[in-house]
Amino acid sequence: MIGEIWNLIILSPMINVLIVVSGALFNNFGLAILVLTIIVRGVTIPLTLRQLRSTKAMQELQPKMTELQKKYGKDKQKLAQEQMRMYKESGVNPAGCLLPMLVQMPIWIALFQSIIRVLAVIPEDFLKLSGHLYASWPQVFSLVPLNSHFLWLDLAVPDKYLLLPILVGGSMWLQQKMVTPKTGDPKQQAQSQMMLWVMPLMFAFITLQFPSGLALYWVLSNVISIALQYFITGGWGGLTAQAATKPAGADKKYLKRLTTAEGKEPDYAATEADIGADVGADIAEVTPKEGAGPGRYQPGLRAMKRHPKKSKHPKRR
Amino acid sequence: MLKKGVISKALLLAVLLLVLASGLAIPTCRPAQGIPRGWSGVSITDEALFLGSMQGKLVAIDKSSRQRLWPDVPFEKKQSGGFGCAQGSGSVAIYGTPAATSELVYLTGYNGKIYAVNVETGALRWVYPREDELDPIVGGPVVAGGRVYFGSSDGKLYALDATTGDRLWIFESEGKIWGTPAVNGETLYIGSFDKKLYALNVADGSLKWQFQMEGAVVATPLVYDDTVYSGSFDRYLYALNEADGSLRWKYQAGNWFWSLPLADDGVIYAASVDGKVHALKAESGEKVAVFDLESPISSSPVLADGSIIVAVEAGQVYSLNINPRQKKPLVNLEDEIYAPLAVSDGVIYIHSADDVLYAVDARSGATLWSLELESE
Repeated sequence: MIGEIWNLIILSPMINVLIVVSGALFNNFGLAILVLTIIVRGVTIPLTLRQLRSTKAMQELQPKMTELQKKYGKDKQKLAQEQMRMYKESGVNPAGCLLPMLVQMPIWIALFQSIIRVLAVIPEDFLKLSGHLYASWPQVFSLVPLNSHFLWLDLAVPDKYLLLPILVGGSMWLQQKMVTPKTGDPKQQAQSQMMLWVMPLMFAFITLQFPSGLALYWVLSNVISIALQYFITGGWGGLTAQAATKPAGADKKYLKRLTTAEGKEPDYAATEADIGADVGADIAEVTPKEGAGPGRYQPGLRAMKRHPKKSKHPKRR
Repeated sequence: MLKKGVISKALLLAVLLLVLASGLAIPTCRPAQGIPRGWSGVSITDEALFLGSMQGKLVAIDKSSRQRLWPDVPFEKKQSGGFGCAQGSGSVAIYGTPAATSELVYLTGYNGKIYAVNVETGALRWVYPREDELDPIVGGPVVAGGRVYFGSSDGKLYALDATTGDRLWIFESEGKIWGTPAVNGETLYIGSFDKKLYALNVADGSLKWQFQMEGAVVATPLVYDDTVYSGSFDRYLYALNEADGSLRWKYQAGNWFWSLPLADDGVIYAASVDGKVHALKAESGEKVAVFDLESPISSSPVLADGSIIVAVEAGQVYSLNINPRQKKPLVNLEDEIYAPLAVSDGVIYIHSADDVLYAVDARSGATLWSLELESE
């Protein structure tokens, strides 16, 4: 039953569309996969944009996260509550970062199943293709099996020259690196580093075993992600050592609540400075952009003015 | 930490889903594709049955005693190493039905080799090619006039000396060849994924004529009454003049033609993957009857006691007649059937997808015996 629904809604439409697009593009299945990638990424662009905003907001909340850890480090329950409140008030959903990837997973599976059917790799798989073809689309019967050659690749088998696994792993690393937040917490830093390497290596390894047509999708999809991240978040993010962190509007709401709770009038600039000072070396390394206006962190200087005794970097005075 | 926890769990979930959904619980040393298992039919001589098992072995069974004539002959293929995977060997999928003569049995393997085995002893007489391998061979061999013919996924049709295995000639098409050739007199007919049906001189492989279709051709053509009948993936059954390949008529079904058509008393029976058997007048292509069997048909039917015996992929076996028109369920093997049927002395031999050989009475549908090939 589930299999029938899967075939009806996802697999059969994908197979027929891939065949027709391939026919329209000079019987080139590789180009059809690239077009499919662009279509899928286009359809999921609202999710991608949401993910990028979430990622950016998470990066911007990083200094406040460290502040909270310092403040409530011993009271885990209180810390968790405060963190949840911070995410809520800032409109950030940490799990939302993964939504575009999760949404694409059925596409990957369907693409894999499509590839092994339309390219006539194994007779048993190819025979099953007949049940997916739309009787009302006569051209699909004339076009199968599709040509499996594209550039240096045989799309039905893994890339024997190993270039594709490198491209998949490399592009995924680049994409991950751009969105990996800087943090002063060594544990968190280690975890970020682990995630930065685990996923690209895993996908590179999977590419060694799956048809290269699927890896072609991953490479272009990663390139699209990188381009979107570059243009929407405004730069290379975590790739550059001088990634600036500026508070989003939502942060101010949180800061206001925090300071009000402490019985003080909100003073954004001062509060930001507190955070900057307490974050320590990591944030202190963040150099404000030239001409940065109010709202940008200028950690060292403001911290000294307000809480000279708290500063952990006396030499910088 | 909440954030760390949520992200870690979500990432872990994503990775697990990916791995599980891909059917790769543990990274393996083989590409993530389906496993070719084969669907060899049965070749019948006066005394014996020969077929390729799904363990990659040639099985020889005495027809009367149902005992093995000799121990199953295994065929192995090399498996490449790399990336920490050791080189090794695996069993060969066998899709083609063996061809048996009084002296040798010929068997084609998905590993790109053809083997000739002594009928009496099971000893290997020759293998082609002796060293390397061709591209996967899906169709079966045909023996005629001291030559053995077969096609390969490299798009070539090979003619070898049946006694020595020496290559005599090659004909090259522009697409994969997955079908089994048909030989009639001095002409060989073979279809290709390049959407053409070729008629070749058996002596030297020269082209007599070719016919362009709109779809790939896998089904073995049938030669009957000066006409060549060939089904295609474009859903048409073509009737071509045997002399020059000109079109006499064509008939459209609902899906691919994969199996060999049958002819009886001026009627062509063509089974399609659309789940129907189309009975057509051989002369004109006019529809006589259509039997809807409600499951795709890729197994070639046989003629037994004046009835057409057809097995559908779902495992049901039917007996069909047009005069009087009758669709009689014979037996349900409850096992998928892709291999072509074979018949001898009123007994139908069926090799199921579970690697079981069934002997079924063509009249009553009673299962006379069954043999699990894997357990032997």
